[in-house]
Amino acid sequence: MSNSLGASKRKLSGSPKINKVSFFGRVKATISQHIHQLVHNFMELWNTPFATLMTILVLGLALSLPTVFHVVYKNVDRVGGQWETASEISLFLKKDLSEEQIQVLINKLGLYENIETVTYVSRHQALQEFKEMSGFSKALNYLDENPLPAVLIVVPVESAMNPAGSKLLVANLEREQDIDLVRVDIDWIEKLQAIFYLVVDIVIAIATLLLLSVLLIVSNTIRLNILNQRAEIEVLKLVGATNRFIQLPYLYIGAWYGFLGGVIAWLFSLIMVIWLESGVENLTGLYKAKFDIISLTFNESIMLLIIGALLGLIASFISVKQYLVTIEPK
Amino acid sequence: MILFEEVSKIYSDDHIALNSVNFHLKQGEMAFLTGHSGSGKSTLLKLVSLMERPTTGRIVLNGNDISHIKGNDIPYLRRHIGMIFQDHRLLMNRTVLDNVGLPLLIEGYSRFEIKRRSLAALEKVGLLGKEDAFPINLSGGEQQRVGIARAIINQPPLLLADEPTGNLDPKLSLEILTLFESLNKFGMSVLIATHDLGLIAKMRYRTLTLREGHMINDGLLRD
Repeated sequence: MSNSLGASKRKLSGSPKINKVSFFGRVKATISQHIHQLVHNFMELWNTPFATLMTILVLGLALSLPTVFHVVYKNVDRVGGQWETASEISLFLKKDLSEEQIQVLINKLGLYENIETVTYVSRHQALQEFKEMSGFSKALNYLDENPLPAVLIVVPVESAMNPAGSKLLVANLEREQDIDLVRVDIDWIEKLQAIFYLVVDIVIAIATLLLLSVLLIVSNTIRLNILNQRAEIEVLKLVGATNRFIQLPYLYIGAWYGFLGGVIAWLFSLIMVIWLESGVENLTGLYKAKFDIISLTFNESIMLLIIGALLGLIASFISVKQYLVTIEPK
Repeated sequence: MILFEEVSKIYSDDHIALNSVNFHLKQGEMAFLTGHSGSGKSTLLKLVSLMERPTTGRIVLNGNDISHIKGNDIPYLRRHIGMIFQDHRLLMNRTVLDNVGLPLLIEGYSRFEIKRRSLAALEKVGLLGKEDAFPINLSGGEQQRVGIARAIINQPPLLLADEPTGNLDPKLSLEILTLFESLNKFGMSVLIATHDLGLIAKMRYRTLTLREGHMINDGLLRD
């Protein structure tokens, strides 16, 4: 006599009194059961509206902080990108260079692989610009000689715009004999990038902690649900429910919590963007620049909801695995 | 249907609940299990329904040795046992129809089939018309009938009842036992644990009597 599952199932199911469900019938019923369960669990959440709302708001808050950080990161990165693309290297040429020599140098620089464009500003043009910008045009007229050198403005290729690439290019340019001075503001870019990366690291650490808190909140909520419904779980086990069958509603509830938390987080990030929009506009206006703050894209929004639902699902799965198996009918 | 061979159950506090119990309940047979409180009735039912494991001995259920069955297999075996409890064990937040249809929902039947068979089971126990009620709004006798309808809905070959008339008056108790009798006539094996000797005497069925974990009588109860 065998006590294996296969044998026991075969033998018991062989009883003429038991009408088994066909495979396709089971698949159809399972799909229908999942859909029904999903909707039923959503409605069930609102049986205790206050508790549900509080849980969702806490989850929303925990998820909204990483979301807001992401939006801020995205916008700061855009600003950083704009600074980087504007980075130029100014080459002050020796005063005694003739126009021909300058042209030779421009052609030579044009052969550099890490230089995108070279713009020539003659001594005369430089003086005119200085007059316009400084407001000392009359005073400058009294000068016997133009004190300004000719300048070549070099824009590096995109791959050389980072501090390391710029440094290499500057080192090469400094070897050129006709160039008197190479000027590039690498230091502030480096410092800004270092600060930016530090902030990003801090934000990632905080976001990880907040996402962990989402796991803990959902896990604890599901644990309380399981303990509150202990009697019901015992009955289900007594009438032959498997752990998989019993855990399904809890998994769906966890996923719903996470999903709704994601919706709240999405709303928070949207409100933040709308709220900051006028402030950013005012600030950039002061610098005569234009910068539109951007919110989450459609794909990012969908991703946020999926991450929320997944976190809820994982958290409830952990809780269910830990507590459901310990409940046995008495 | 149920075969007990030298079955003993000793709990962790060294309490011997059952001591070398032997009996055989055949397919389609109905029997009472009686004894005082603490005699081992509930332990015996728990062993059959796989809520407990025997310390020694062998239990065969419907041809399957369940003494050392794996935990994952237990739900599938329980689906072939109808269980009725003194405290009914109904889900109070679900309707009568949902309670009765629970075993079919677990087995993966369609909602239409569950409703059809639940109504048929409710008709069998005389509760047709109460399907949308919640258990809390039913009397003790009606709740017990809901429990019976749930136990028989998937036509299990074995019905176990633990003090099914414990909270009912004599008239209702007799009605419930008559219901068991009619189910037995359809070929269902029935084992009823009760300490109501008057009721057992009226029904005149085989009676297993336990005292302090020992089986002291197996046959018709003497007056």
